[in-house]
Amino acid sequence: MQGLFALSGSVTSLAIILIIIFLFKEGLGLFRSSQIEKGYVLAVNVSNPVGALDSRQIKEIFDYAYTNWAEIGGKDAEIIPFRFEEIFSIYDETELGNDYELLPGKLGELIASEPNILAFLPERYAPKENADVRILPLRTISPRSFFGGIEWMPTATPAAQFGVFPLIMGTLWVSFFAILIALPLGLGVAIYLSELADERMRKLLKPAIELLAGIPSVVYGFFGLVVLVPLIQRALNLPVGETALAGSLILAIMALPTIITIAEDAMRATPKAMREASLALGATHWQTIYRVIVPYASSGIMAAVVLGIGRAIGETMAVLMVTGNAAVMPRSMFESVRTIPATIAAELGEAPSGGTHYQSLFLLGCILFLITMVVSISAEIISKQPINKGL
Amino acid sequence: MIETKHIDFYYGAFHALKDVSIRIEPHTVTAFIGPSGCGKSTFLRLFNRMNDLIDGVRLTGECIVDGVNIYNKSVQVDDLRKKVGMVFQKPNPFPKSIFENVAYGLRVNDVQNKAFITQRVEESLKSAALWEEVKDKLKKSAFELSGGQQQRLCIARALAVSPSILLMDEPASALDPISTSKIEELIHVLKQEYTIVIVTHNMQQAARVSDRTGFFMLGELVEYSDTKKMFLNPEKVETQNYITGRFG
Ligand SMILES: Nc1ncnc2c1ncn2[C@@H]1O[C@H](COP(=O)(O)OP(=O)(O)OP(=O)(O)O)[C@@H](O)[C@H]1O
Ligand SMILES: [Mg+2]
Repeated sequence: MQGLFALSGSVTSLAIILIIIFLFKEGLGLFRSSQIEKGYVLAVNVSNPVGALDSRQIKEIFDYAYTNWAEIGGKDAEIIPFRFEEIFSIYDETELGNDYELLPGKLGELIASEPNILAFLPERYAPKENADVRILPLRTISPRSFFGGIEWMPTATPAAQFGVFPLIMGTLWVSFFAILIALPLGLGVAIYLSELADERMRKLLKPAIELLAGIPSVVYGFFGLVVLVPLIQRALNLPVGETALAGSLILAIMALPTIITIAEDAMRATPKAMREASLALGATHWQTIYRVIVPYASSGIMAAVVLGIGRAIGETMAVLMVTGNAAVMPRSMFESVRTIPATIAAELGEAPSGGTHYQSLFLLGCILFLITMVVSISAEIISKQPINKGL
Repeated sequence: MIETKHIDFYYGAFHALKDVSIRIEPHTVTAFIGPSGCGKSTFLRLFNRMNDLIDGVRLTGECIVDGVNIYNKSVQVDDLRKKVGMVFQKPNPFPKSIFENVAYGLRVNDVQNKAFITQRVEESLKSAALWEEVKDKLKKSAFELSGGQQQRLCIARALAVSPSILLMDEPASALDPISTSKIEELIHVLKQEYTIVIVTHNMQQAARVSDRTGFFMLGELVEYSDTKKMFLNPEKVETQNYITGRFG
């Protein structure tokens, strides 16, 4: 029997470790992938001295944001970005041969004749033999551009942008305000339940609150979408109601039952001797609550907060439904944001397996895993603190 | 002065105290003895209304402290408890520093004057015969003290708010003999200034520290008289049996 438990324990641990290894292995593959679409190359005229470009520069060029080679360390000349498809508007199908066997030659001519071109081509049609054409060396996606980048455009061509900074900030932003709302509210209700409510009230409310913790998050999402979002839009006179504020509010509502239940348990666990000692010295009930009971329960309350944060950070559906999901840096509570879990949920279905987009989503999963791990380790440390510390 | 008149006390349907009348003079030590469950603690906790914290209790009769029936509606419970201090069976310091434990009663009384608080803490610790042992570590956690020291800290904490009456519910039962005798010596000294009511299971202790002794059994005050008389020449046979160890 004991062996059985030991076995199931080790199997579970092993499974968890394997999942984590899988997650990181898939995710870290991103940093070995090329920064432009797989199977494509960038070609320039041989007279162009430019070196390897990074993915942001490539994107900006094809978005016509950079228009001069001098801006990226080349000579002073206009950049002429060229996408492979454009060849079909120059030549018609018959001129390129039945199997496009003439295509590389035509591309070569084009690049040779245009010194300022930057051509984005499939590798198989690239005119590699043409002496007037130079294929640019390609870099892999750098961790710096991943963690520090501020643009999340995982399907952009030629160079997808994997800047997760706005997503991390979106997650932390929404979670932070959720806790800011949920903490005082949850603590207040916990104090009411453990100290002020009579037995009948508590017997009624406690199970109801615990039940709230079990409602699936889509239901909260629906509630948010149908009630909260229009309410916010109207009350604050905003163009759209799908905002960080809506996400924080819905998360606060979702984190409340956890915070209330755990904080209330912690406060009720304050020994009777502590209350009696305080009251016997002439302290009022309120003085006893804030001078003895809350400090005594502080480690439990901290644990409640951290678990609430954990729920908020990991929560997917409800947030996905109410925040509007714009992957931009959050600047205020009244703008649309996007969180890491929402991104994974929304995009994993359409990301081709094994591609860079897919890998980047796994890496997002790793980040989320690390954040929640930090949160739960701090919960562990805080709740193990001896209660007489720091009072 | 404490006086009760025909006190009956119920925990729900359970009749815990039956028609108890007693008079306790100022600056005396009164001990309550009796078998476990006879109602000593219940009776003691009437004097600072600690029983109010329990749901479903009921009281009839009068309990008069310094001329006022403390169960009158006009009586503020927190004011009463400042006048009637209590020390519990198990030392129950707060998870705070030694200093803050003693200062607690002053702080909840809105005393702001730092110098006064410091002075009062020192006086109280001295009265509780703890000052010499802790004067260099007032900032340390109260949990770093021994059980006996913690109990004296709890006494100091109760004294800091300047009560006139001190209730002690088996204050030495969780302590070793040396700590116990320290507490007993302390009671002797404190008697000069305070009226002390102590519950104890230890007959010798009652004999050593108290002027008057009340013997309880099954919720009734069986006998109440001078301690010497009670132990040398009890009136009731139940008292005799209990004291000589043939009962309880
Ligand atoms: N909170 C309570 N609810 C119900 N009954 C109680 C409660 N507290 C005490 N009693 C009962 O009242 C009676 C008297 O209790 P009390 O604590 O006063 O006894 P005691 O004389 O102090 O005993 P001990 O010497 O063991 O401390 C006991 O029978 C006990 O079971
Ligand atoms: Mg008792």
